Amino acid sequence: MSLVLSALTIGIILSLLALGVLISFRIFTFPDMTAEGTVTLGAAVSAALIVHGYNPAVATAIAVLAGAAAGAVTGILHTRFKINGLLSGILVMTALYSINLHIMGRSNIPMMSVATFVTWAGELGAATGLGETVRFLGRPVPVNDLAVLTVTLLFVVAVAVALLAFFRTHLGTAMRATGDNPQMIRALGASDGNMITAGLALSNGLVALAGALLAQYQGFADVQMGIGMLVWGLASVIIGEALIGTGKLGHLLAGAIFGSVLFRLLVAVALRWGLDPNDLKLITAGFVFLALVSPGLIKKLRLRTPTEARHA
Amino acid sequence: MLDVQNIRKTFNAGTANEVRSLQGINLKIEEGSFVVVIGSNGSGKSTLLNAVAGGFYVDEGRIDIDGHDVTRWPEHQRASLVGRVFQNPFSGTAPHLSIAENLALASRRGKVRGLTPALGGGLRQQMLDTVKTLGMGLESRLDNAIGSLSGGQRQALTLLMATWLKPRMLLLDEHTAALDPRSAEQVIRITDRIVARDRLTTMMVTHSMQQAVTYGDRLVMLHRGKIIQDFSGAEKRRLRPEDLLARFEEVRRADLLDVSAAELLRRRYV
Repeated sequence: MSLVLSALTIGIILSLLALGVLISFRIFTFPDMTAEGTVTLGAAVSAALIVHGYNPAVATAIAVLAGAAAGAVTGILHTRFKINGLLSGILVMTALYSINLHIMGRSNIPMMSVATFVTWAGELGAATGLGETVRFLGRPVPVNDLAVLTVTLLFVVAVAVALLAFFRTHLGTAMRATGDNPQMIRALGASDGNMITAGLALSNGLVALAGALLAQYQGFADVQMGIGMLVWGLASVIIGEALIGTGKLGHLLAGAIFGSVLFRLLVAVALRWGLDPNDLKLITAGFVFLALVSPGLIKKLRLRTPTEARHA
Repeated sequence: MLDVQNIRKTFNAGTANEVRSLQGINLKIEEGSFVVVIGSNGSGKSTLLNAVAGGFYVDEGRIDIDGHDVTRWPEHQRASLVGRVFQNPFSGTAPHLSIAENLALASRRGKVRGLTPALGGGLRQQMLDTVKTLGMGLESRLDNAIGSLSGGQRQALTLLMATWLKPRMLLLDEHTAALDPRSAEQVIRITDRIVARDRLTTMMVTHSMQQAVTYGDRLVMLHRGKIIQDFSGAEKRRLRPEDLLARFEEVRRADLLDVSAAELLRRRYV
């Protein structure tokens, strides 16, 4: 049961990453590699501040700002210096690797002995007076884990609702239109370059938030933890789109969250059944490949079937 | 309202693909005037419109709109003065956003876009009323994605968007050329109605001779990046499509003459 709770919690935390990827990939159609570096940046900044005695909330907020700054740099490289979008992200991601090492001072910061948001959530759980464990479906469930899960879920839902509200404002609508039709948004008086930069800042702020919470949940920040995260987020977005659809903005946001949680659960089950953890990224990449090509393949098959039926 | 002074633009300068698009254009447009711009392919008519809109910076010359020297203003800054409709019906609207959201974007053209809800306030009723004037039944589909509409419907909405806030200058770039004849007729009628109602200072590029003689109070003909004819007043009203076609033919023959005359001179003297 603890394994499932842990998978759920990590899935919920990483849904913030999926929301970030949703913004860059789906709203701006910008393949933003910066995310790989900003996951770690968020983790590094929050961990370094927390072990230096900062309040976890303050540390997490600063991590978000750091992530947003990194995203803005990618945006400026792309829109002001006209560097290819993919390359802009790779440049910032590469630079962030060194920056992250500087921030952490070493390649790994453990946070086992300091208070983080997990400690707070645990205290909240203890304050409910439910004791050490509750029984769920006949199994004992640790109240501490349950409290962390609940707090994370509420937080992520609040972030998603705020995002949804933002994308319905004048500024947010202009951002969505920029990804849809930059020519049109210029003709209506908004700088598409500024919109992309702001959008990437928002996206990477969310990704850094995911990194900061993940580090606190796992109890350590590691300089390698961002590797493969972009594909991971993309896989979540794709699963979400398949589950909930792409019709409305709310569906996309909810889909990214469900996709992330489901994907994490699937991975946990696969690992439990003996999947070699080293193969995880290979399988994730393969999955995303299939998800990207299958809509086209299915269309092809559908187009072919009536013709064949006629011949038969 | 618009004052274009001796603007020049050469694309791909110094390469084999060098194109001298605008070669010293002077054009003054009075407030409330509806100017039709015609010219053969490559004459620079769309380039002229694009120069005014800020799609690129001119190499030489100066552009004033409504008393502002906008020569070095980027496109999005000029949008505070200029409303535009493009040739491609897909260029003027965001396909994945709803009709209402697209109109809401237009309601902030050239203004600060803040954190207030885009579809709040009395905007919705205003949208219903305005969209109804198109007579296309779109008022019941305000929440549908614009991508699901036909080219003509999208172009009519783009026109509404460009004029939602009264622009100092309305630029129409062959905005009916990509439509079927029926939609084209519908869109040009709506155009004429809105321009007349709001007395908009308008520049319309077209390659329909019929539109060129029917609409507007002034007609400018471009050839090889220069203005070669400028009809206004009674002269413009008397114009028929045949007159314009005859003038085009004249220009074409003059071009041929240039080439053959040059050849003659080359053979004799070089």
